[in-house]
Amino acid sequence: MAEIFDRDTLLDLTVNVIPLGIILFFVAAFVILDPFSSLDFYGRVLQMGLLAFPFVALAILTYVSGKAIAGDEKQSKVFFQGQATMEDAKTKHEVEEAIEAEIAGDAEAASDGEATEGGDADEADGADDTDEADGADADAAADD
Amino acid sequence: METSGQLLLTVLMGAFLLGVAAFLARVEDWRSYTPLGAGGGAVGESGYGHAEKPAGLIRWLTTVDHKDIGLLYGAYATIAFVVGGLMVMLMRAELTTPATDVLGSATFYNSLLTSHGITMLFLFGTPIIAAFSNYLIPLVIGADDMAFPRINAIAFWLLPPGALLIWAGFFPIPGVIPAQTAWTMYTPLSAGVGAGNQANVGVDLMLLGLHLTGVSATMGAINFIATIFTERAEEVTWANLDIFSWTILTQSGLILFAFPLLGSALVMLLLDRNFGTTFFAVEGGGPILWQHLFWFFGHPEVYILVLPPMGIVSYVLPRFSGRKLFGFKFVVYSTLAIGVLSFGVWAHHMFATGIDPRLRASFMAVSLAIAIPSAVKTFNWITTMWNGKLRLTTPMLFCIGFVSNFIIGGVTGVFLASIPVDLVLHDTYYVVGHFHYIVMGAITFAGMAGIYYWFPLVTGRWYQRRLAKAHFWLWMIGTNVTFFAMVLLGYGGMPRRYATYLPKFATLHQIASLGALLLLVGGIIWVYNIVTSWMEGKRVESGDPWRLDETNLNTAEWDWFEAKRETSLAATDGGEEVKTDGGQESRADDE
Repeated sequence: MAEIFDRDTLLDLTVNVIPLGIILFFVAAFVILDPFSSLDFYGRVLQMGLLAFPFVALAILTYVSGKAIAGDEKQSKVFFQGQATMEDAKTKHEVEEAIEAEIAGDAEAASDGEATEGGDADEADGADDTDEADGADADAAADD
Repeated sequence: METSGQLLLTVLMGAFLLGVAAFLARVEDWRSYTPLGAGGGAVGESGYGHAEKPAGLIRWLTTVDHKDIGLLYGAYATIAFVVGGLMVMLMRAELTTPATDVLGSATFYNSLLTSHGITMLFLFGTPIIAAFSNYLIPLVIGADDMAFPRINAIAFWLLPPGALLIWAGFFPIPGVIPAQTAWTMYTPLSAGVGAGNQANVGVDLMLLGLHLTGVSATMGAINFIATIFTERAEEVTWANLDIFSWTILTQSGLILFAFPLLGSALVMLLLDRNFGTTFFAVEGGGPILWQHLFWFFGHPEVYILVLPPMGIVSYVLPRFSGRKLFGFKFVVYSTLAIGVLSFGVWAHHMFATGIDPRLRASFMAVSLAIAIPSAVKTFNWITTMWNGKLRLTTPMLFCIGFVSNFIIGGVTGVFLASIPVDLVLHDTYYVVGHFHYIVMGAITFAGMAGIYYWFPLVTGRWYQRRLAKAHFWLWMIGTNVTFFAMVLLGYGGMPRRYATYLPKFATLHQIASLGALLLLVGGIIWVYNIVTSWMEGKRVESGDPWRLDETNLNTAEWDWFEAKRETSLAATDGGEEVKTDGGQESRADDE
């Protein structure tokens, strides 16, 4: 459990913690300010229920999906999206290692300026890449 | 006399159906399919090979291949889009003058308005997404086919009769008029009570048609959930599932909970209309009950329509940014968050109905919360492009257009989530402008990005680039001219759903109509481009037409495409001239 929900995974899940926080904020606001205190109790229950249900459902789904995704990340090879079934696909780990190695190489020998995937586009490399040239062979082939 | 006529019709229909069954039994050898229990469509060999496909029209009527069904969905959605688009062009023509000078009748305008909404949401929106998901998901997740191929086919074939029923009022059938209830079908108008003409059978037919499309969507959703859960290749773990599949999985979950509720509400409405029940009558459940039931379906429906397009953009945009999607897992988790929260916001459509103010406050809170996951995605797309090596191809232009329009549509929506703002802007053109920025500016743009991006994959040919770019710019400008004018009209207090208006709104309405004209021209160019390119376009010369390998951004479906090309090249007789990857002429047997 603790192994699955490590620092990185918790960081990924913060994206869902923010809406949870917003809902909690409004729960607190409605409890403290209680602008409609003269109305019946039933409506009050509904009001809180309408906040509690999405809160609980989102918390559960975030936990379950986080466990499934982070668990699989730790148990098996991780590929970039859409590449898992490709024959010659590199794992995410391999790609990241290659980038690190290249960065290290660049630092030592002022590099050849070749762009790597995942990293920033190399500015030197971009100089000869006009929009036209970059339009894939669609642009060359299908122009007529 | 009337009874015997009906009996005769019933007998004729029975004979016709028997004839259809006999015809199908003749042209299709049912026993050639491997029974599902023996593994048909499941992991491994399906036993249903493509070589068994019959030729011509029969192939399309009997296919259970996910790719064919995807194409059927695509063709269906395109026809519906053209129909819905022409309907709204008539409406925009009418709105160029304050009085009903063009159509001559507000009733006809109301019919067009109703049918445009339902056509675009149910007959274009959901099916065009199903086109992408049917064609691509089994390829991307490494499945042999969908989990239930025949249910897949049934789900599609429920749609054409659904469309005919929805449009039935426009056909020259004596005594049948089109529904004029708007797509929200609010009671008591839709219950057919009062002095209006909505007790007409045309409304019943529309409700039945809608019900069929709902059943179709539910069957499709069950199929996708089963496929993604059980048919994935071994390597495609939850951590490796692509973003488009995640959005389809979430969308299918939403459909599973939302559409059956719509179906139930529609049946209740039909009972109220035809059998004297009082579900939505003032003396029974009350008209507000309809709004609760409808929007409990209706708001998730918004996300049913927008999540997969977001998935397409999250999938395509990085390919032309030269880098991976920034914060992939943020996008996945925020997709799931939207899925859950979308069921907690329905009454923000009902702030002006006089419901308990405490309930309104709760719905406002969750509506504000759901803006966060959408905003997170937007930042991810922008960050993916930031310092990226952008290639402004047509699919990329549509992706960028999507992000741009989605920001305007989203920001205008956040204001509507606030009760005091909503009470001012409710039922004005501001709302129309806001949601059209999403449904046209975002959802349709993403659909176009997908169509252009996968056009070479599906057809093996290229579209015509200049026409495609003209299409994009006409739509980008047209969308913003049309729908920003609507936002301004809303600020001015122009109420929605009216065929006539005060003269002071004329200029903005004319500007909106001008924008719609740009959209029409762009749409004509799109249809022409797709049809002619499909038939005569330049053939793709490589298995990696977008040169994705250069940036290590290639994906499984293009791998499949490459394998397919190699197989078909190998299958040529050796005498045919084919182009190699380098664009030079060579003989196939030299390869």
